[in-house]
Amino acid sequence: MRVDIKGFTKPLVESLVAIVIGILVGAIILAFSGYSPAEAYIALFNGALGSKYGLAMTLSSATPIILTALTFGIGARTGLFNIGGEGTVYFGAIMAIILTNLWGNVLMGLFGGILAGMAWMAIPAILKVLRGVNEVVSTIMLNWMAYFIALYIVLQKIPNPEDPNKTLAVPVSARFPIIMKGTELSWAFAISVIAALITYYILWHTELGYELRVSGYNERAARYGGINPKKAIIWSFLLGGIMSGLAGATEVMGRPPSYAISQGMANIYGYGFDGIGVSLVGRNHPLGIIFSGIFFGMLRAGATSMQIEAGVPLEMVKVVQGVIVVTIAIPGLLDLLKKVVRR
Amino acid sequence: MKNRGLTVLLVGILLFSVAVSGCIGGETTSTPQYEGKIALVYDVGGRGDLSFNDMAYLGASKAAKDFNLELKEVQSNSESDYLPNLRSLAQKGDYDLIIAVGFMMEDAVKQVAEEFPDQKFAIVDGYIPDKPNVVSIIFKENEGSALIGALAGLIAANDGKDKVGAVLGVEIPPLYKFEGGYMFGVAWAEDYYKQKTGKDVDIKVLYTYTGAFNDPAKGKTAAQAQLGQGAWVIYQIAGATGLGVFDAVYEYLQSQGKDMGPPFAVGVDSAQDWIKPGVIIASMMKRVDVGVYKAVESVVKGTWKGGVMELGLKEDGVGVSSIDDVKEMFNSLPEDAKEQKLKELGLNSEDELFAKLEETRNQVPDWIWQAVSELEEKIKSGEIKVPMATTKDQIEAIRNAETWQEMEELAKEWESS
Repeated sequence: MRVDIKGFTKPLVESLVAIVIGILVGAIILAFSGYSPAEAYIALFNGALGSKYGLAMTLSSATPIILTALTFGIGARTGLFNIGGEGTVYFGAIMAIILTNLWGNVLMGLFGGILAGMAWMAIPAILKVLRGVNEVVSTIMLNWMAYFIALYIVLQKIPNPEDPNKTLAVPVSARFPIIMKGTELSWAFAISVIAALITYYILWHTELGYELRVSGYNERAARYGGINPKKAIIWSFLLGGIMSGLAGATEVMGRPPSYAISQGMANIYGYGFDGIGVSLVGRNHPLGIIFSGIFFGMLRAGATSMQIEAGVPLEMVKVVQGVIVVTIAIPGLLDLLKKVVRR
Repeated sequence: MKNRGLTVLLVGILLFSVAVSGCIGGETTSTPQYEGKIALVYDVGGRGDLSFNDMAYLGASKAAKDFNLELKEVQSNSESDYLPNLRSLAQKGDYDLIIAVGFMMEDAVKQVAEEFPDQKFAIVDGYIPDKPNVVSIIFKENEGSALIGALAGLIAANDGKDKVGAVLGVEIPPLYKFEGGYMFGVAWAEDYYKQKTGKDVDIKVLYTYTGAFNDPAKGKTAAQAQLGQGAWVIYQIAGATGLGVFDAVYEYLQSQGKDMGPPFAVGVDSAQDWIKPGVIIASMMKRVDVGVYKAVESVVKGTWKGGVMELGLKEDGVGVSSIDDVKEMFNSLPEDAKEQKLKELGLNSEDELFAKLEETRNQVPDWIWQAVSELEEKIKSGEIKVPMATTKDQIEAIRNAETWQEMEELAKEWESS
């Protein structure tokens, strides 16, 4: 398998520059809010990377957002702005819980996540292909529908009789074993990395991937070249659905302590949205997404120690994350910086 | 050239930030004198919820001040943060007590308490009875609700009405404690009224589980239906859903051309009376602040005991709000929030608000308030036992019971088993 090193350098530098700017702007905001940036960042990096526990938390926090980022990334490579990952996560988690309670093994859970993800993402795909419904609109609406349907299922259909605030738990036999005791790092992390590698292989080393990417670059050219853009759209949604469905499934199968969904989806809410930022920073590239996922996982893992060690509120960590995403989304600023770098 | 100017500006800002950070860093790193440390882990509701988390902070900050402790607050972005937040704090090993706010943290506290047997934990509203290093702060909401039931039942009986209501959130066992206590209080009121006036009354309790804690529209619909059936007082036990109950009663009064009840609504958790003066006759307060304070106190004074800390009327853990409670709650709001609220109510000053609250309470005759106090004393002294329903079967038994004496029998039966 040939990997194009040269093609990586530019986006890599751009992403790194964005991260550095994000961190510096975050420092300014921290300083003006009366916190010590130095103390805050030391706490952040120390908490996320300074110990085995921190490293394990970084990787385990990266697990679901790498997968949801792949959903957005695959969409972006096909020219789609697919933000339906959020809702898909819920169904992936629900289906994994249902199937593992029927057949208590890991494969059934993963299968459930994949199945539910594909089924839910088929809806915007069909709407787009048959009726030309813009996927931004349809996926936003579907996220809300997913939320309420999932809420109903969680509360009414699969509640835990002993603790009705949660669903049934994934049985012990179907849970991912914890890699390091006393942490949350489970083998689910391996699933997300493998998923990213497979996505890379499909996109760059198969005919289907080629068709997806060409449709993404230029739909008309693709059609002229004998590629059916509708097929590309459908596959893009289905592959994306698999990823977010897996995110939900691995979350309930691999995250202690409850291995269940809480009322209001409180423990799986937001991963789909976080994935958009992860994908953007990873330049919508599966391999980039692994690294940016780990970077975001680090911010997440470090947020706890930032609060405890440096007394910085959680909101500040979110500001830094937001700044990084915004920075990378401003091409003009990047062009400017490129000129500066060239000089 | 233009670009270079911008570059210079950017670099300037960055340098400035580094400089500023240096200065400010110097100020904040000085450690204050303290004798110990406590930590408070909020659930996803976080500060500003006017309920659980804020009340826990109130209790913890008061304890921190009284006992000269450093208080560390940790927020949770999502429920998956509970475990890492608790673990990171426990790993430090220098916290005298780690307080987890909310039953949602039960699983996480259980796990971390096992991993760190020397670390003390408190969990608000959670139930972890069997760990020596965990104290579970729970409340006898059934006792507080019994007083509300007595108040509601007597108001209805006094006005010749035969129905009162309760609008609840999701049907989960913790709410059965409220519902059962309320039904007990209403039954007690029937008996009290008969003895006082010699008249037989039969007051029915309408109860609606809305299935949501955060949907005021559902609360409103449920309350409107109950008002339509003739409910004279409606007790909300539904978090934010209950705000819709207040709206429904308010609109009902408006449609009758009235500024003040009856019919009334009853608030829950904190002293909510100020939210709709004239509409809310009182609130069933759950003193999370008292529980948290007591837990910290037990650590400081060396009287720590793991297990369950159950706070009822006797321990000031629950109760019916007084005007002073409402004042305290209202004054804990930020200034601009207070001003905005007064404006919204069309009132000029806080005094007007409190005067209006007095007037609301004066709509109910004194003997009713005295009867409620009487019941309170009897529960405190142990003369009367209020049943605590925690399962579907138990709440059904209370729903089917006719008199408060029958319900008390159930209480005794459950207690002995």
